[in-house]
Amino acid sequence: MRKISKELPLILIKEVSYIYPNGTEALRNINLNVYKGEFIGIMGKNGAGKTTLIRTLNGLIRPSNGNVFLDGENISSKSIATLSKDVGIIFQNPMHQLFANSVEEEIKFSFKSLNLNKEEIQSKTIKILKEFNLEKYRNRSPLNLSGGESKKLAVASIICRDPRILVFDEPTMGQDAREIDFFLELIRNERMKGKTIIIVTHNVEFAFEHIPRTILMANGQIIADGPTPQVLNSELLVERTSLVLPQTRQFCMSLEQAGFKRINNVITRRDMAEYLKTILKKKIMNIEEE
Amino acid sequence: MSLEFLNAFKFMRKKSFLHELDPRAKLVTALIYTISGLLFTDIIPLLLIFLSLIPLVLIGKLMKQWIKSISGLSFLIIFIIILNTYFLSLSFAIAMVLRICIMVSAFSIFFLTVDPNELALSLISMKFPYEIAFSFSLAFRFVPTIAIEAQNIIDAQQSRGYEMQKRGIINQIKNLFPLLIPLIICSIKRAFNVAEALESRAFGSKKERSYYFTIKYSFKDWAFTLYLISYLIILIIVRIQFNLMPEFLMWRLPV
Repeated sequence: MRKISKELPLILIKEVSYIYPNGTEALRNINLNVYKGEFIGIMGKNGAGKTTLIRTLNGLIRPSNGNVFLDGENISSKSIATLSKDVGIIFQNPMHQLFANSVEEEIKFSFKSLNLNKEEIQSKTIKILKEFNLEKYRNRSPLNLSGGESKKLAVASIICRDPRILVFDEPTMGQDAREIDFFLELIRNERMKGKTIIIVTHNVEFAFEHIPRTILMANGQIIADGPTPQVLNSELLVERTSLVLPQTRQFCMSLEQAGFKRINNVITRRDMAEYLKTILKKKIMNIEEE
Repeated sequence: MSLEFLNAFKFMRKKSFLHELDPRAKLVTALIYTISGLLFTDIIPLLLIFLSLIPLVLIGKLMKQWIKSISGLSFLIIFIIILNTYFLSLSFAIAMVLRICIMVSAFSIFFLTVDPNELALSLISMKFPYEIAFSFSLAFRFVPTIAIEAQNIIDAQQSRGYEMQKRGIINQIKNLFPLLIPLIICSIKRAFNVAEALESRAFGSKKERSYYFTIKYSFKDWAFTLYLISYLIILIIVRIQFNLMPEFLMWRLPV
């Protein structure tokens, strides 16, 4: 992975609040720094303000108060079209953006606002279709693709524009294990290119295993921001956000309830395997000694 | 671009004389105002009909939503003015704008004050088959849902560089495809899902069914309907005898 630059935040959200026209206060005084190359998860229960927060990043929502800065520059006067070159948001439902006659045309539509010539558009389209294994569907209508393939196409139609920041809204929802693996591989590749990734998710296991930094939101506020194991292992925080503890933590708690000593430093599945290995070894040695 | 103006057609529970009326009386109101708007092609009578809607809006405590519904028509108003002024006259263009405002206001008042469930009941009491009445109230109930979906589609397309405002009518029409196609597809899918959900709950298994709520045409509904009918009769008389009416009613712009 590329190094995360901690000098100037790529995204700086300063005292941002947002009230919907119906009076709902969706964001309350949000302050957040995101550095170049970071991989961040935003979690919280429905209605916590996660989606509203990501919509402020490319100007889909203009804050009622406060400012969003991209590379030190205030985005308040920039158009969505300009900001979409830097921030690509991939929404939950791929059917909300697919409309063209063919998969190829769908990808080409994304290049329209980039002022590229025909040859460039053609070569970039072929490249992205190959990268996403969508070449065989090139002439097929996007509306005839399976759920997983249409999600892939929706992601491809944003990634092909090469934005510096990629924001995914619930990318793992309704995806099978193979599709999640493909998505993880994609994230890995994009991170290698130095992209900053933000994921909104309810999937605790996914966040716990793969996302280094997690932000927890409740009632339009950030209630925790830190390393994922630290944030998601906190019973208090998890309860406040209607999430569940990661399976490793739950297993540790079951062991403690069954009479084991307080288990510390077991965070990942690998830690758990090591811990169990040590215990079993001790037990076997005790039996042998007897 | 915001589709917030569609909220101007979403039912809001309030306590007012208009909200307490029978839905059929409100349907009669919407129809009578629509017919009134169609009777005239001159600015002054249409303006008077339009102004006569304001007391209704005030009685129903709907001023904010009503203004929203009218402001949501801005694109259509510009379109009507340009076309009619080009092919006919500015006076006719203004009259047509007033006509469209009357019709939209009449139905905006109707949708804002009629609960979708009551609407189905009123249609059934007017001897419409239950399936049709239910479909109508369901379509009515889905207006805000479709508005939210349309906004999500706009956001998704804008996130990949789609620009809403483009110059030229042809470009603007072309520009609608990335929004309309996903919206139509999603709406059809939802319709199938709703149909399956209804069938799985035995919709239509019995021909005769009972109703949890009933509606009754009360004295105040009759009184209000009579008032509206007399209002329409007066307007029809004015229309027939229009040449004998005071000249200011026929006033037109010099251009």
